[in-house]
Amino acid sequence: MSLLEVRNLHTHFISHDLNNNQRVAKGLNGVTFDVDKSEVVGIVGETGAGKSLTAMSIMGLLQPPARVVEGSVTFDGNELIGLSAEDLNRIRGTELTMIVQSPLTSLDPLSRVGKQLVRAQREHRDIPKEEAWTAGIQTMTTVGIPDPERRMRAWPHELSGGMAQRVLIALALINGPRLIIADEPTTGLDVTVQAQILDLLRDLVRDREMGAMIITHDLGVVAHYCTRICVMFAGSIIETGPVREVFNNPRHPYTQALISSTPKRIAEQGYGQIGGPPPNLYALPQGCHYRDRCAKAADICHQTPPLQNAGGGHQARCHFAVDDATATPTVTHG
Amino acid sequence: MTDVTVTTPAPVPGFTWTGRILGITRRSPTFAIGFLIVAIFAFIAAFANVISPFGPIETFSDKVLIPPGSEFWFGSDGNGMDVFSRVMHGARFAFGIAVPSAIIMLVIGVPLGLIAGYKGGMIDEVVLRSMDVLRSFPSIVLALAVVAATGQSLINVVLVIGFLDAPIFTRLVRSEVLALRSSGFVDSAVAAGNPTWRILFVHLLPNAIRGSTAMIAVRMAWAVRISATLAFIGVGIQAPTPEWGAMIRQGAEFIISGEWWVATFPGVALVGIVLGFNLLGDGLQDLLDPRRKATGK
Amino acid sequence: MTLRHFLRRRLLMVVPILLGITFLTFMLLRIGDQDPVAMLGGPMADEAALAEIERELGLDRQFFVQFGIYVGKLATGDLGESWQSSERVADEIRNRLPASLELLLSAVLLGALVGVPVGLRSAQRPNGVFDQVARFVSLFGFSVPTYWIALMAIFVFFFLLGWAPPPLGRLDLATFPPTDITGSYLVDSILTGQWSTARTAAGQLALPVILFSIIVAAPIIKHTRAISLEVLGSDYVRYAKSQGLRPRTVRRIALRNSITPVLTFIGTELTGLLAAVSLLELIFAWGGLGQWGLNAILTGDFAAVQGYVLVLALFSVAVFVVIDLLVLLLEPRATLRP
Repeated sequence: MSLLEVRNLHTHFISHDLNNNQRVAKGLNGVTFDVDKSEVVGIVGETGAGKSLTAMSIMGLLQPPARVVEGSVTFDGNELIGLSAEDLNRIRGTELTMIVQSPLTSLDPLSRVGKQLVRAQREHRDIPKEEAWTAGIQTMTTVGIPDPERRMRAWPHELSGGMAQRVLIALALINGPRLIIADEPTTGLDVTVQAQILDLLRDLVRDREMGAMIITHDLGVVAHYCTRICVMFAGSIIETGPVREVFNNPRHPYTQALISSTPKRIAEQGYGQIGGPPPNLYALPQGCHYRDRCAKAADICHQTPPLQNAGGGHQARCHFAVDDATATPTVTHG
Repeated sequence: MTDVTVTTPAPVPGFTWTGRILGITRRSPTFAIGFLIVAIFAFIAAFANVISPFGPIETFSDKVLIPPGSEFWFGSDGNGMDVFSRVMHGARFAFGIAVPSAIIMLVIGVPLGLIAGYKGGMIDEVVLRSMDVLRSFPSIVLALAVVAATGQSLINVVLVIGFLDAPIFTRLVRSEVLALRSSGFVDSAVAAGNPTWRILFVHLLPNAIRGSTAMIAVRMAWAVRISATLAFIGVGIQAPTPEWGAMIRQGAEFIISGEWWVATFPGVALVGIVLGFNLLGDGLQDLLDPRRKATGK
Repeated sequence: MTLRHFLRRRLLMVVPILLGITFLTFMLLRIGDQDPVAMLGGPMADEAALAEIERELGLDRQFFVQFGIYVGKLATGDLGESWQSSERVADEIRNRLPASLELLLSAVLLGALVGVPVGLRSAQRPNGVFDQVARFVSLFGFSVPTYWIALMAIFVFFFLLGWAPPPLGRLDLATFPPTDITGSYLVDSILTGQWSTARTAAGQLALPVILFSIIVAAPIIKHTRAISLEVLGSDYVRYAKSQGLRPRTVRRIALRNSITPVLTFIGTELTGLLAAVSLLELIFAWGGLGQWGLNAILTGDFAAVQGYVLVLALFSVAVFVVIDLLVLLLEPRATLRP
C-alpha cells in the first residue's frame, strides 16, 4: 500500500448559465495514481489539464462550484474524501503538507514569519512557544535561510520570492510531514533559485524518506528531479511510469508530442507539432479525450481506451500504446 | 494516416425565454427584482394620466387634509389635491430627472475619460485634478449652492446633477482606457491605421463603457434622490409641481399634527424607485462581473 | 521621513485644494441669482442706501480683489461675519460644530458596530439567507432619504407611540445646557454630573442617532461584505486552510486582514457624512452646523456659506489624515512615503 493512493477521482464544476441550463465542467475524469515514500512523482500537463485541481481535491481545498463527485483518496490507508474538516485539519499541515505557486501572496501579510512558524506548530501540538520558536529557527536553517533569527522577525512582504518559498517549505516541514505536494513551486522564481529550491526538496525527500508530488508544466524539472511521471490531459492521466522510461519511450501520442518539443529533441529532429485548442471541459469528446487533436486518431478511439501496460510500471491510456514496438514519435515535421 | 477530426464547438443548450428569465433571476435575483420595480414605475410614469382619478394639480379647496379612503385613495393634502394622483404623476418627474441627467453625465464624463486615458500626459493631469477638486466638494452642498445660485428650475437641477456626477464616469472610463492601452489593444488599432477619433469612439468606447453600466443605474438612483432632497430643502422644483421631494416638504408640517399621509406616500414611492434603481445597478454588477461571486478551483 | 514631516507635507498639499474650493464657492456665490444687498436693504431701501450696504459688505470691489481680501483675512483666522446674524462666522461655527459632531460620531459608532459584523457574517456564507437579507436591508438603507425616514420615525415614535420626545433640538424647553467642556451636551452633562440634563440630552439624541446610524450602516455593510469576500478568497486564506489551521484561526487571520480596508472605507464615508447630517439637523431642530449652513446657502449669506464649505473641506482633510495615521499603525506594509 502506497502512502498516497488516488483512485478514480472525478471533480466537477457545476453551475448554471444565463438560460438556466445546468453546465458541468469536468475538471478531473478518473484520476488514478500513487505516491509512495522516497518517491518524487511529477505531474505534468498543459494549463487546464487538471494538475492543480488534483492537488486541491486531495487537500480538500475545493471551493464551490467545484466538487469531488466520485473517487477516493487514501493517505496512509485513511480515506480523505468526505472527511470532516476537523479530521482533515489533523492531517493537513502535519503529515500532508503543501507548497504553492505564489509564496509571497500565500503568507499571512499581517503576521511575522516567526509567528507563522510557531502558529503552524501550536495549532497541531501543545508545545510551549519557546520550543516552537527554536524549532522554527532550526527549520529555517534546514531550508537554507541565512540569518534565521533575524528572519523570524521579518514581515512576509520583506522577503524575496525565493526566500518566501523557502519559508513555505519550512512551514511544510516543521511538523514532520510524510508527503509534500508542491504545486508549481518554482514558477516566478529565478532560474538559479529554482534549482536551489528543487535541490532542497529532493534532498529532503531522500533524507527523511518523505513522498513528494511535484506539479509542473516544465518537463526539465521532471526530468531532473522526479522518479516517476504522470502526464495529464483533460482531467485524466494518460501516461505514467518511471521518468527515464517515459522520456525515452513515450507511448501516448500526447506525451510523444510533448517530449519531442523539448529543445534537445527539436535540435535533433526539427520542430514537431502539438496541434489544437484546449479541450472543452464542458463537452469532452466521447471515448478518448485526446482524439480531436491526435494524429493517430481512428474509429476505435470513440471507445475509451484502456490502460495499456508497457512493462516496468509504464502505462499509457491509448489504443495504440503497445502496438508500435519501435515507438518512434510519430510527429509530422516541417 | 487517419483523418484528424475537427473539434466542433459544443452547441448552445436550448434558449427559451422562460429559461433566460429564470437563468438571470438565478444568477442575480437583485437584478430581477430591480428590473421589475423600475419597470413598474416606468409603467406608472407612462400611464399616469390613465391611472390617476384626478389631475395632478386639481384642487378641491373644500376637501383639505382628508385621510386616505374611498374618495381619495392616498388622502388629500393641505391644498385639497389628491395625493394619489400626484404621486403617480411624480413618477414622470423621477424619470424626467433620472434619464436626462444620466445622459448628461455620460455625455460629459465619458469623452473626458476617453481623452484623458488615451492622450495621457498634461491633458490627463488637468482632467484628473479638476475632477479631484469637484469630488472633494460634498455633493449635496455643491448641488445646493449651484442650484440656489442659478435659479430654481427643473432643467437647472438636471444639469447640475449631470455635471456633478460626470467625474465618476470620467474616472471609470479613464481606468478602462488605461487598461486597454496597456494590453496592446490600442497599439494594434493604431498600427492598422485608424484615425484617432475612430479609435476613440469605435474601438475604445464600447469596451470602456461596459464597466460603467452598473454605475449608470446607481447614479440614476442618486439623481432621483438628490433632486428630491433639493426640492425638500426648498430649492429647485417647488409646489404645486407634483415632485415627490416637494410633496414631502409640504407634508412635513403635518406630521406633528398627525396627518401622516401627505408625506408618507410620496416617500414610499421615492424609496421604491431609488431602491429599484439601486437593485438594478447591484444586479448588473452581479451579471456582468461573475468573478465577484464564489470562486471555483 | 518622520511623522512630523509627513504631516506637514500632507497639510501643505491640501492647501491648493482648499484654495480651489474656496475659489469655486466664492465664484458661485457671486455670479448667482442671489442678491444679498437687496435682501439686507429690504423693499424700502433707495439707491444710496443700497450702495452703502454694498460698500459695507465689500461687494463693490473687483472680484479678485474681494477674493484676495478674503483669503488674507482667512490667514488670520477671520472668517468674516454672517449677514443674517451679525455674528462672527468663526464663532457661529465654534458654537454649532460640536452639536453636529455629537450626532455624527454617535451615529457612525453605532452604525459601524452593527454594520461591520453584519457585513462580515454575510461574507461567510455568500448568497445564503443571512446574506440576502442583509444585502436587501443595506440597499434599503441606501434608498431611503434621511429626511423622510426621520419624518416617519417622528410620526410613529413621537406622535403615535409617545416614546420619543418632541423634535425640538438637543434639549427640551425646560432644561438648560450643561457647563461647556467639549461642546457635546451629553458628554458635558455626564462629566459634570448633571444627570437629569444628561438623561434629557440622551433622550433627544436617541431618535436622530438611530436613524442616522441606519443610513451610515448601509454602505458599511455593503463594503465590509465585499472586502471580507475578497479576503476570504485570497491566497493566504486558502494557504492557511492547507496548513490545517483551525477554522477559528483562519477566521481570525481573515478578520485582521479585513480591518484596515474597512476602517479606511469608514473614514471615506465619514467625510461626506458631515454634510449629510444637515438634513437631520433641520428636521430635529438640532442647532448644528449643517442646519446653519443650509440656511446660509438659501439666504445667500456669503461669508457664512464660505465658512461652512471650508469647515466641511477641513473636516475631510482631518479625517483623511487620521485614516492615514491609523493605516500606518496597523499595516506593516505601509511606509511614510510621500
